Amino acid sequence: MKRAKRCLTAVGSLTAMVASLLVGATAPAAQAAAPYKAAWIYVGPHNDGGWSQAQNDGRLYVQKMLGNRVETTYKENIAVGTQFSQTVASLSAQGYKMIFATSYGYVTPQIAAQYPNIKFEQATGTLVSKNVSEYFGAAEDTVFLSGMAAGAASKTGKIGFVVAYPIPEVIRHTNAFALGAQLTHPGATVRIVWTHSWFDPAGERKAAQSLYSAGVDVLGQNVDSPATGQFAESVGVPWVGYDSDSSQFGPKSWLTASVYHWGPYELQQIKNAMAGKWKSGFYYGSIKDGFTSLAPFGPRVSAKTKALILTYEKKIENGTFYEFTGPLYDQHGKLRVRKGVRMQVLNGGTNSLYGMNWFVKGVIGNPNG
Amino acid sequence: MNNSLAVVLIASGVAYGTPLLFAALGELLAERSGVLNLGVEGMMLVGAVMGFWTVERVHVPGGLALALAMLVAALAGTVMASIHAFLVVTLRANQIVSGLALTIFAGAAGLSSYLGNDLNLADLPARHTFGPLLPKALQKLPIVGPVLFGQNILVYLSWVLVVVIGLYLSRTRPGLNVRAVGESPAAADTMGINVTAYRYAHTLAGGALAGVGGATITLALTPQWVSGITGGSGWIAVALVIFAFWRPALCLVGAYFFGALQAVAPELQARSISLGPTVLWTGALPYLMTVLVLVVAASGTARRRLGAPGALGTPYIREAR
Amino acid sequence: MRVSIEQRLERPRWLVVAVPVGSVVAAFLIAAVVLAATGHDPISTYKQLFQAGFLQQGSLTQTLSMATPLAFTGLAAAAAFRMKLYNIGAEGQMYMGTVLGAGAGLYFGGRGGPSVFVIGAMVIGGAVGGAGWALIPGILRAFFKASEILTSLLLNYVAGLLLTYLIFESESYWRQTTGFNATVFPTGKPLPSSAIWPKWVLGVQGGLTLPLGAFFAVACALVLWVAYRRTRFGFEVQVAGDSERAARYAGVRMRRKVLAVMALSGGIAGIGGASYVGDFSHSLDGDPNGLQKLGYGYTGIVVAALGRYNPFAVVLIAFLLGGLDNAGNTLQGANFPAGLVGVVQGIILFSVLGGELLSRYRVRATGRPKPTAGANRGPAKLEPTNSGPLETSGRPAPEVLA
Repeated sequence: MKRAKRCLTAVGSLTAMVASLLVGATAPAAQAAAPYKAAWIYVGPHNDGGWSQAQNDGRLYVQKMLGNRVETTYKENIAVGTQFSQTVASLSAQGYKMIFATSYGYVTPQIAAQYPNIKFEQATGTLVSKNVSEYFGAAEDTVFLSGMAAGAASKTGKIGFVVAYPIPEVIRHTNAFALGAQLTHPGATVRIVWTHSWFDPAGERKAAQSLYSAGVDVLGQNVDSPATGQFAESVGVPWVGYDSDSSQFGPKSWLTASVYHWGPYELQQIKNAMAGKWKSGFYYGSIKDGFTSLAPFGPRVSAKTKALILTYEKKIENGTFYEFTGPLYDQHGKLRVRKGVRMQVLNGGTNSLYGMNWFVKGVIGNPNG
Repeated sequence: MNNSLAVVLIASGVAYGTPLLFAALGELLAERSGVLNLGVEGMMLVGAVMGFWTVERVHVPGGLALALAMLVAALAGTVMASIHAFLVVTLRANQIVSGLALTIFAGAAGLSSYLGNDLNLADLPARHTFGPLLPKALQKLPIVGPVLFGQNILVYLSWVLVVVIGLYLSRTRPGLNVRAVGESPAAADTMGINVTAYRYAHTLAGGALAGVGGATITLALTPQWVSGITGGSGWIAVALVIFAFWRPALCLVGAYFFGALQAVAPELQARSISLGPTVLWTGALPYLMTVLVLVVAASGTARRRLGAPGALGTPYIREAR
Repeated sequence: MRVSIEQRLERPRWLVVAVPVGSVVAAFLIAAVVLAATGHDPISTYKQLFQAGFLQQGSLTQTLSMATPLAFTGLAAAAAFRMKLYNIGAEGQMYMGTVLGAGAGLYFGGRGGPSVFVIGAMVIGGAVGGAGWALIPGILRAFFKASEILTSLLLNYVAGLLLTYLIFESESYWRQTTGFNATVFPTGKPLPSSAIWPKWVLGVQGGLTLPLGAFFAVACALVLWVAYRRTRFGFEVQVAGDSERAARYAGVRMRRKVLAVMALSGGIAGIGGASYVGDFSHSLDGDPNGLQKLGYGYTGIVVAALGRYNPFAVVLIAFLLGGLDNAGNTLQGANFPAGLVGVVQGIILFSVLGGELLSRYRVRATGRPKPTAGANRGPAKLEPTNSGPLETSGRPAPEVLA
């Protein structure tokens, strides 16, 4: 019956369509108070259970907080390059004022210059200009804490870590993870497998399986799908996720994960823009800002480990502890960061968070892929 | 021993090769009747999403839910294949273009993605999955444990299917008929074989198996649904059929070989065995190996003895006889 | 009663136009039902579609940027399919075109030569890259009889890996290695300004930008038309496409033809790659989320088929499909799932494919089935109308070029 109705509707709309084509386009109804229009652009599907989904959660948060004062939309699976420019052009034509470009390489100086009236907020990059802000978060802190859980859960001290591409972001997270594991399990090693993809359930599962067959007894990941966890669950091995709370994919294996909360920052920026106070800048969110946090712990994390992790979380929050403080040795035993020196986000070349291209001691794998 | 590189690779080959095997057997049936279907990827994706949907939404005991899911996946694949069959058998459209259109229609940016999103299937673990069928003790046996006894029921089902399809094509009347249709539809027609019916039936059967292959991914290998979950398996399945000289048993060998090749890159990395630029080498290995096999398969005596169905890709036009 | 389908001996001219138009109209009607059934207003959806694709401010510029690469890959497919060489490797051949095209731009542009010379070098580099990559399946087909469908397809994946490798996983010549940004995230080295292709801006729609590549695509179409319509080479390709046996009988050297056509096809795709670099990306795009996500090579096959391998029709269809892609991108979002766009595109393709039937065959209702017995001139594969392992239709449609 419902279907029949739908068909009738279809026929009705068809007639209407023909009529409207004959009559010509009608003017859109005038709106009382125009909501502020902001768009999010995702590199993957909006419900990938990882990166893009976390971004979409940010959008939904903004929409919920501001209600009908904003109008938000998203575009998913948008390729870097021409497709991004095409998307920006159409969003601009539809009157969108602010664009959250949620992947590296989306916004180029050319595009920024071409649309001076659009405020670009780009995640994970470094390009800041008059109308481009960059934002990201210190996930290394929370990844470090999740590494502590992994180290404590390991009996042999051999931990596996599934990683995407050999770039500084991934390398810094791997290093933080290893440092955390070594804190709770001195001498622990972290063995890595590159998947050469940000999101590839089949490849991630294969990577997890090969790490397991190479003898690791805890698995972690810096890729987006929960496939590692599903494998871990199937062989009964503890698992640390990334990006989002995916405990439902491996309830018995789940330890914890570093997660992002993009929403509060995005809300603040939109509010600023609506009030005409928006200024471009480089934002690096932290645990303190509520930008990054640990997902709830799973049953395999002991009370003692939880307490220790929470202690370190507090220390990181109030600045009395920072995992990337010297002395730091690379995987070949060479001293990279001298005692007492704190690594910085942007300054320091390959000894900065954004430039790191070497693995710390205990990571087994090639930082060049 | 069971963690040695060779055993792990063979065991992974069997596990990861199984969806490929189902899809390739289906494509083999269609091609044997003379219909090339490049829409395998799309049919697998629709099977993958509908099989997953059944397990999530139909609340019956696990085993029944999984069996039902496979049926639904097969049905979904069949429906997709019927579009192709109608276009190329009845309307005699270009088989290559129609197959590609089917992949666009049903694929990662099409129907399968629409269904998965509309039915809210993302970010859920499968409620039931296909796990190892046999007792743990058997799975621990050296070599045969992980390779043979550690597999799920779909693997054993695929073995049965290989035998059944092999016998069907070589020993039964309809099987011989379909080969005649694929080799020379005009000759088959004069023999009183209904070319259209045979082509429809085998194209649809091919769709059903592609659907099952897709659901094998979402219910056994990586038990979740996400847009584009098959990640190109459908294309590899099409290549496999040629690789296997249109022989079911060789499909099995080829599928497992492919499955194992895909596990080579991570296995070598995890064991700190470096072969230079890994992404290039090990990533490209499965594709380059297939090209090599295709060349060997195509050249010389192999082709004459084991060649493609003569009328593959050709519409049959009775009036043009 | 029974429906019988007969091949048309002659195709009325009006059908050549009426059928595609009719198919598209039918497609939109079917898609409208689907849209309505999924709770979307077809009228406003279509309005948005055309607005976004062709009418709204700046839309034609965007449509052209999607259509230009499609025109190249469509022409590449058409060039090969015409001889029934199913090169579905335009995707990878285009990647290789971007590699050598960008390489030429970086190398010669870096030496400060005049722009005309640098652009010429990029076009040649792109053509060489694409043709070289296409010759691999060409040689395998010509000398080993390996199916070019699969070898060319498999090589697409290899080319993609190579592209990513050059930017993401190595310190190659193409990768930006200086400056702090280069360490943060891997990107291609930006082309020097003399290697950036000029654009022309027309005063419509608030500035319609015509990329140089679009002109090159039209030029390629012209060259292809002349080569296939006016030369002995084209005639031989035509004969070889209709029947390999007949061609051999007529003294056509098949291996040479296979190699030449594959090189031509890959070369066009490669120039498309050079255009992508020079017109749009301005550096080698090795990002797995960039060029490789767009699938121009695969859509190009559809473009070629819809254009019935006629070079000018291919260019026109590329423009229309570019617009549809552009519009699809504009439509998708929170209230319009991305999958629906693919569904609508698929329906259009199916309808146009099905519509072909009407232009090639006459559908008649007959009282009784014709008797099956009768003169059988042997196995179908030997029939001139069904020649080749992957013949697709009764007649290869030479009249489109005529």
